[in-house]
Amino acid sequence: MEKEIKRIIAVLIGICILFVSLVVYLTYFQVFRANAVRNNSYNKRLWINEEKILRGSIIDRNGRILAYSEYNGETYSRVYNYGNLYSHIIGYSYRDYGKSNLELHYNNVLLNISDSSALNELKNLVEPNSEGNTLKLTIDHHLQEYSRNLLKGKKGAIVAMNPSTGEIYAMVSLPDFNPVTLREEWSNIVEDEDSPLLNRAISGLYQPGSTFKVVTATALLENDVSLGEYKCTGTTIIDGYPLKDYDGKGHGTIDLEGALVYSCNPYFAEAGIELGIDKLSETAEKFMLNKEIPFDLPVKKSSFPNKGNIGKTDIAAASIGQGKVLVTPLNMALIASGIANKGDIMKPVLVKEVISKNGKVIDSFEAEVISRATDIFTANELKNMMVDVVNIGTGKNARIRNIRVAGKTGTAENPSGNDHAWFIGFAPAEDPKIAIAVILEEEGSTGGQKAAPIAKNIMVEALNTINN
Amino acid sequence: MLNKGINYRLPRNLLFVFEMMALFLMFMYYRSTLDKSTIIYGLSLIFIVYVSNLILSKIVSGDNYLFLIVTMLASIGIIMIYRINHEQGIKQIIWISIGIVLFFVTYFVVKRFKGWENLFIYYLSASIFLFVATLILGKRFRGAVNWISIGGISFQPTEIIKILAILMIASYYTNYDKFKKKKWGNYYLIGIMYLFVFFLFIQRDLGSVLIFCSLFLALQYIYNENRKLVFANLVVLIFSGLLGFAIFPHVKIRFETWINPWKYIDTIGYQITQSLFAISEGGFFGTGLGLGHPDFIPEVSKDFIFSAICEEMGILAGIGVIMLFMILVYRGFKISINQKNKFFRIAALGISILFGIQSFIIFGGVINMIPLTGITIPFVSYGGSSMLSSFIALGILQVASEELDIEED
Repeated sequence: MEKEIKRIIAVLIGICILFVSLVVYLTYFQVFRANAVRNNSYNKRLWINEEKILRGSIIDRNGRILAYSEYNGETYSRVYNYGNLYSHIIGYSYRDYGKSNLELHYNNVLLNISDSSALNELKNLVEPNSEGNTLKLTIDHHLQEYSRNLLKGKKGAIVAMNPSTGEIYAMVSLPDFNPVTLREEWSNIVEDEDSPLLNRAISGLYQPGSTFKVVTATALLENDVSLGEYKCTGTTIIDGYPLKDYDGKGHGTIDLEGALVYSCNPYFAEAGIELGIDKLSETAEKFMLNKEIPFDLPVKKSSFPNKGNIGKTDIAAASIGQGKVLVTPLNMALIASGIANKGDIMKPVLVKEVISKNGKVIDSFEAEVISRATDIFTANELKNMMVDVVNIGTGKNARIRNIRVAGKTGTAENPSGNDHAWFIGFAPAEDPKIAIAVILEEEGSTGGQKAAPIAKNIMVEALNTINN
Repeated sequence: MLNKGINYRLPRNLLFVFEMMALFLMFMYYRSTLDKSTIIYGLSLIFIVYVSNLILSKIVSGDNYLFLIVTMLASIGIIMIYRINHEQGIKQIIWISIGIVLFFVTYFVVKRFKGWENLFIYYLSASIFLFVATLILGKRFRGAVNWISIGGISFQPTEIIKILAILMIASYYTNYDKFKKKKWGNYYLIGIMYLFVFFLFIQRDLGSVLIFCSLFLALQYIYNENRKLVFANLVVLIFSGLLGFAIFPHVKIRFETWINPWKYIDTIGYQITQSLFAISEGGFFGTGLGLGHPDFIPEVSKDFIFSAICEEMGILAGIGVIMLFMILVYRGFKISINQKNKFFRIAALGISILFGIQSFIIFGGVINMIPLTGITIPFVSYGGSSMLSSFIALGILQVASEELDIEED
């Protein structure tokens, strides 16, 4: 009898624990998870409120309307003025297919709703058919269109930005899709092997190739590591593995500057080994690799290998931007911006201002340093070397008459067998107004041949048309 | 009574006030579409609940809080169901009224007749008969084949089998000494349990599988003298659970949806994610009755009524409902410990465990704390079979709460 009662109480305690755990979980869910869950674009409650609200327009930095909503008798529907051009920036907003990009991440701003939905309901009772806010982007419509036309027919991405404020002028990723005809083409879009829904500029991870030598060179200068007058034969043997230059001819006797100008792989590989992985990785992380880049859209994290067993061949590969180094094009644009902006990397920005329905600016971005990549002296030294890259080295195709351009080319080997063609740079060198990163994915050609001319044209266009 | 006036501190009066306020709120919300019959139904519900509680307090000598807790739960359920679907709400009022009548009938019948503990073989054969009938006549509904329809009235035999199973276990352990003397007598119950679980599994009613397993295991833990057997049984159950996970895709899919429902938001994760939207929308205080959108959840008035309560009344009300169940279970266990008649002691335990586990499984399911299995919340969810069987079980528990003559043995 005694034993029976004890066991009965044990079962009772067990059931009570179950009930209490329900209460704890429910509270946990409400406090920590509910907000994220509620804002899921599949939550139809968001749509119910939305259809009574005039969704705000999206305009470029000069006030050109890119997307807006119009009233058609009962509900509002979304109009995209430029088809494919803004698919990776603005995205889409449809009841049946959800939302993406700025339409998703700035949903509450575009609708001018606060987080509490009970309040929204009340607001809708008091003030039906209210109006949302307008988003003014940092994008320059002309440059965006111009950049996309240059990239047309290829796979790849372009990021063009202001290095001293972080404003993005153009961000292109191809292939893209047309939000206007999304419904009809949905199954083609999602099944396409070239993934047109992917914004390569912020979500594509690529080997940076020689463009990464800018980072390695910064680390070498900062740590005073130098191979002195190095005799390049076009090949070097590291741990028994030969490491070759792109053409394998050899650059003769060169110093660090020469090595960067002519993109000498053996020099950077050996200097990188002498420097060591810890120092190199420290600088790489200051240039935002292995770091979350804060942005108006989610950015994939670039990666630099510094964990686990790292041998000499791995360091050599990392020093020339091969092997396990993976970057987003946005990250490379930030690296160029950092050198251009005296060593300071600014937070990249896509949304310049939020404007209320009365035309009042209720929120505007503030330029913000997210990382001090290097000091002003090192940045200057690198800038001069990068100017030489364009003037006499591998980046000649990016030369602009009367304007000094700083840049670095890259030709990245990758598993596809066709090299990625890279160019990063900025202009004018003495007072940089534009920084750029261009990648042509699996182009099978060098960055100097294919990416540099595109970058040049965009920089010229930007310097001629954008007035801040 | 009359001399004292109305004492608001009496629980049944508090319940009355709660119901009046909720009803008023709802009538205000639906004032444009309100008709006379709805008001009559609403008021008659309050009247029935109040009078039943009043009668109960006069005629029974046992626990009169049980019925109070249950009518409170049923009131919350009915308000929510009516708000979602008027027609179902009115039907639910009828089901509850029949349930209350059945409760009193059960109470008087069980109390009047003796010898319930000697009907082991009848409980068993009735259960098996119902299982077989379900197999032959069963209709597939929401993935499970656990409904049968006779003469236009469809019901869920499992709901009745639950009560039969509890009575069967109670009579088995009451006569444990007799059974033990027989060859294999100690294994009868385990064999029966596996048979039941097998039947439920081929009906694809995973929620009931969980309920029956917990019920058998808990009672076996308390009463079986062969401890090794209890332990071995537990191991076998866990093992067959894992095996079921590996072999049957419909089991595996529940686990995968539980781990990451968002991945399957368009397909198998649709219900649970809609439920999570509702709960997160409600916050602590809810959107207010009629101001949320619980109707976005499929099957909301049955399995997902808890999510609707959380959305419109807030998770504080949700926690309140959980606490009501906890008090109900606690009182059931207390009744059991105080009961000297072994048969009713075990029956009270079984019924309390049933209420507790069943509500836990569905609460945990709709908030995605445990994998979702479609079962109803006793007394709260919409549905006749569940409501009636729950009231019958409550009637038995009511009898168990009284001092009964100890059988001479």
